Amino acid sequence: MSGILEQIEPLTQEALQALESAGSLTDLDKARVKYLGVNGQFTALLKQMGSLPKEQRPAAGKQINLSKKKLEGVLISRKEDLELEACLPSEPTDFSLPGREQRLGKLHPLTQVTEDIIRSFRKIGFVVADGPEVEDEYHCFDALNTPADHPARDSQDTFYVKTPDRPLLRTHTSSVQIRVMETQAPPIRIIVPGRVYRRDTADATHNPTFHQIEGLYVDKNVTLGDMKGTVEFVFRELLGKDVKLRFRPHYFSYTEPSLEIDFSSALTRKMGKEWLEIAGCGMVHPKVFGNVGYDPEVWSGWAFGFGIERIAMIRYGISDIRLFYENDLRFLNQF
Amino acid sequence: MKVTVNALKQYVDFDWSVEELTERLTMLGLEVESVEQVGGGYEGIEVAEILEFVPHPDADKLSVCQVADSTGHRQIVCGAKNFKVGDKVPLILPGHSLPIKEGEKPFTIKVGKLRGVESCGMMCSGAEIGITQDSAGLMILGADAKVGQPIAEYLGCAEKDVLLDMEVTPNRPDYNSVIGIAREIAALTGNPLRWPEVTSEETGGPLSKVLDVRIEDPERCPRYQARVIKGVKIGPSPTWLQQSLEKVGVRSINNVVDVTNFVMLEVGQPLHAFDLKLVKRKGDHLPTVVVRTAQDKEPFVTLDDQSHELDPKMLLIADETQGIALAGVMGGLNTEINDQTVDVLLESACFHPGNIRRTSKLLDLRTDASYRFERGADVSICDWASRRAAQLIMETAGGQLCQGSIDAYPGLKDPLTITLSYEKTNRLLGIEIPGDDQKKLLESIELNCIESNVGSCCVQIPAFRVDLKGEIDLIEEVTRLYGVDRIPSTPPRGAHGANEFDTLHDQLMDARLLLTSLGLSETQGQTLIADSAARRVHPGFVALEYPLSSDMNVLRPSLLPGLLDVLQHNVSHRNTDVAVFEIGRVFLPGESTVTESRKLAIAWIGNRQLGFWKGGAKAEKVDIFDLKGLLDGFLDGFGIRGFSWRTESCEQGEFFIEKASLCLGRNTLGEMGQLMPLVAREFDIKDSVFMAELDLDRLVAMRVHSRSFKPIPAYPSVRRDIAMLVAESTTHMEVQRAVKKAKVQQLDSVEVFDVFRGKHVPEGKKSVAYSFVYRDASKTLTDSEVNKAHDKLIAHLQTSLSAEIR
Repeated sequence: MSGILEQIEPLTQEALQALESAGSLTDLDKARVKYLGVNGQFTALLKQMGSLPKEQRPAAGKQINLSKKKLEGVLISRKEDLELEACLPSEPTDFSLPGREQRLGKLHPLTQVTEDIIRSFRKIGFVVADGPEVEDEYHCFDALNTPADHPARDSQDTFYVKTPDRPLLRTHTSSVQIRVMETQAPPIRIIVPGRVYRRDTADATHNPTFHQIEGLYVDKNVTLGDMKGTVEFVFRELLGKDVKLRFRPHYFSYTEPSLEIDFSSALTRKMGKEWLEIAGCGMVHPKVFGNVGYDPEVWSGWAFGFGIERIAMIRYGISDIRLFYENDLRFLNQF
Repeated sequence: MKVTVNALKQYVDFDWSVEELTERLTMLGLEVESVEQVGGGYEGIEVAEILEFVPHPDADKLSVCQVADSTGHRQIVCGAKNFKVGDKVPLILPGHSLPIKEGEKPFTIKVGKLRGVESCGMMCSGAEIGITQDSAGLMILGADAKVGQPIAEYLGCAEKDVLLDMEVTPNRPDYNSVIGIAREIAALTGNPLRWPEVTSEETGGPLSKVLDVRIEDPERCPRYQARVIKGVKIGPSPTWLQQSLEKVGVRSINNVVDVTNFVMLEVGQPLHAFDLKLVKRKGDHLPTVVVRTAQDKEPFVTLDDQSHELDPKMLLIADETQGIALAGVMGGLNTEINDQTVDVLLESACFHPGNIRRTSKLLDLRTDASYRFERGADVSICDWASRRAAQLIMETAGGQLCQGSIDAYPGLKDPLTITLSYEKTNRLLGIEIPGDDQKKLLESIELNCIESNVGSCCVQIPAFRVDLKGEIDLIEEVTRLYGVDRIPSTPPRGAHGANEFDTLHDQLMDARLLLTSLGLSETQGQTLIADSAARRVHPGFVALEYPLSSDMNVLRPSLLPGLLDVLQHNVSHRNTDVAVFEIGRVFLPGESTVTESRKLAIAWIGNRQLGFWKGGAKAEKVDIFDLKGLLDGFLDGFGIRGFSWRTESCEQGEFFIEKASLCLGRNTLGEMGQLMPLVAREFDIKDSVFMAELDLDRLVAMRVHSRSFKPIPAYPSVRRDIAMLVAESTTHMEVQRAVKKAKVQQLDSVEVFDVFRGKHVPEGKKSVAYSFVYRDASKTLTDSEVNKAHDKLIAHLQTSLSAEIR
């Protein structure tokens, strides 16, 4: 028989050729079985080692193992190549085609705006407070220094409920000021979001139901400057750093001095206006403090409030308030 | 309040531009809402006098006129006939255009020949120059017109003017007058306020011989002043008066009534003029004005010819026989100034604001007078206003003023004084305004200082400032006049707030975010709904006393009707896949009052998945298990432990055709189900509608916030499946209970994976398939250990459920 040693090299070359030319994983496996398998040709060669003279065995064994290692290396890399090839998509993907759309739930735009406002206030130590929507006249008007025949009630035409005690639907969130101050000792630092009601027929700018948010801060030595500073902080957070605010004297029965807040920004200029009225504020009237049992000589405070729909309408460029209450998905999904 | 810039300039000097004036007033608290150019115009139209005229040689209907004008003299051919020599008429000069009406092309006058005779201009009718409606002939001007005078000047609108419309806040009735606004400008500029001089000769004989006044209700009428002007001639007002009223939107009526309106606008005091001859007397008594309350159901006809029925709280101006004016609101038809009026009784009074407001509201009668009285009129100005009006009446309507006035003034009080501590202002504003400056600011608006020291001053409140009642009001005045824009903003500081609701707010937000993460969109429905919609879901609800309309007459007892509206709106706009929720309050009648609570409601219709171009899971509609899965996911995520759903029976005519209620311990916390298809059809919905409403307040209370970590299993599990036949009535919950009762220790979890009826399943039975997962936390289970456990479980199911293992 020809020497084993002479067979090693040709067999290695043959195996190499077979492995490298294998076109598929199946062919590759066949080649592996043929040469490197348990019954493969290299195994057979090793089995023949016994027939070699003792002194030739180590060299032959070493050479066979070297060849096997080399072939195994080639096998692995060829296998990786072929596996990768098998993974490749049969046809190219058009990435401009739409993917499978998932249903994404959206928060109502009024909720989003309310949350943004609350977030700004919470950064500076305010907490959220709440109160009933069905209110009595005392908390909605009298305690807020608005007596029964006061002209300030004129613009707040009110819904009354048909029950014996004849409560009303609160016309502003300010009633919660009273409820909180009645039950909590100063200092107070609250923000009150909520629904309010006025007898307005629904049109593009009115809905009998709408939302307000109101802030109240009562402490020692609270100043009008503090109020301006806080209002500016919140509106910059809400409407952008470029917003300009203007405070001008106004009248509310429960604050004195009372101010109205106008803002000016790229948004208002786009609407063709330099200034747009956005909120009312003022220093809490001593009579209001008197009504809740706070000593106006010790405590001072400010309150301010605004309509959430109005902010949302300005922010998103919505011109009809009724859209908020129609809940058309094509509307809701935009925010 | 509407006022023109030129009107203001008659009372105070200022040289601000309109923009600056607007800005200054706005920052002072008198917001200028709109600015409008008025007047001006009439360029090239002047007063001409007709010197002579002859018939046109070639045309019967035309005349050739010689007229005098600013340039001397000119010839004009004219078609009108209504003039005579010496008449003064408007003349438009060649090269100028007639005032243009909206939508009309300008008509420019040229020198030209009419039937061969040269005509250098045109004499005009009132309609042609847009002053009156009269187009029948030339407009004949008053004798006071000067030849060559621009017609605009003659009409009292020589200059262009600017009309300002201002928002007057209800606390500042003094702003409802030109002088009131001029007073603030005077304070800003430091220039004096100019009051018109009032000097009237009283040549009409003593007033006490012609009139008496009796106030029976001094509480409601603190002052009633009367004057009489005898021998007036009622007619149209002079042009200046008409123009000054019409510019601010007040219709001209006649000279006497116009004067009362003019003075009201000028100084804010509502006045009323009666025809004195129509004031009835008793026997040979003097005509007497009686200020009294009305009798119950006393009838009264106001001068707008409306009949009213009064009540005993309404204040009436009466003579001895009947009412002649509804005090502070409107005069009576019976004593109205008319063309035959000769003697005028002029009323200048003050009434209780609340009473006027009540009367005006109850009778639904709002007038300029009631508007001013109900906000609080200046009781001290009655006399000035009365004298001013008397003088103007004599100037415009002639007549003689009777000597003196009857001034019943039971409400005369010492002026209020208020002390301001300068330090208090500074403490509230957060700045230092020196005491002297504060004092000067107050004095600039006529709050005279009667006493002052280093730290404070005491000022007298003039009667026109009905809003100034306490120290805080003075602080506001200082703030306003000092300028809010000059107060620096200080960064937020101070205590941290605390309120119980704060955490609740977060929990409601958690619920919202969980639901949106489950693919639902949030909606906001109306709180006010129709009683018919409410009745559909709840027998009890809270009704409004005076609803706006029948579709908004009750408070919602449930969120479900609102969600049905959302579905209907969307389906009708072809959004057929709708998965929405609302979190909001509902209202139910309580024992003594209304109960408010928060609910969470869900509505779901249409396809389970959104469309995809490859098709695949094609257009499968949502079913009740989609809703249940979603609710279970929500409740689990929200931290509700140990809840279950109990099948409820539904009867004909109910809201749901099939429903289950959410149970937690002994509590029922809401329900879910499929809407009665008949109801769905009413809302134009063809698909099955799945809805749920949960009691959110109680869910929040039962929420478990604590979570503790369970180690992730270290050893593998073994799964065994079984299918078994059970009775149709055996529920999944019963199977679960039976499994639990078997107390198989190594059982890790159990899951149903099929419920089947049909082939090879006998009638009245169903085949249910479950997979059981066995695991031991401390070791890998052997086959035989699993078999042992599984056999125990099967044996228990066989006996307790009579299950037949397949």
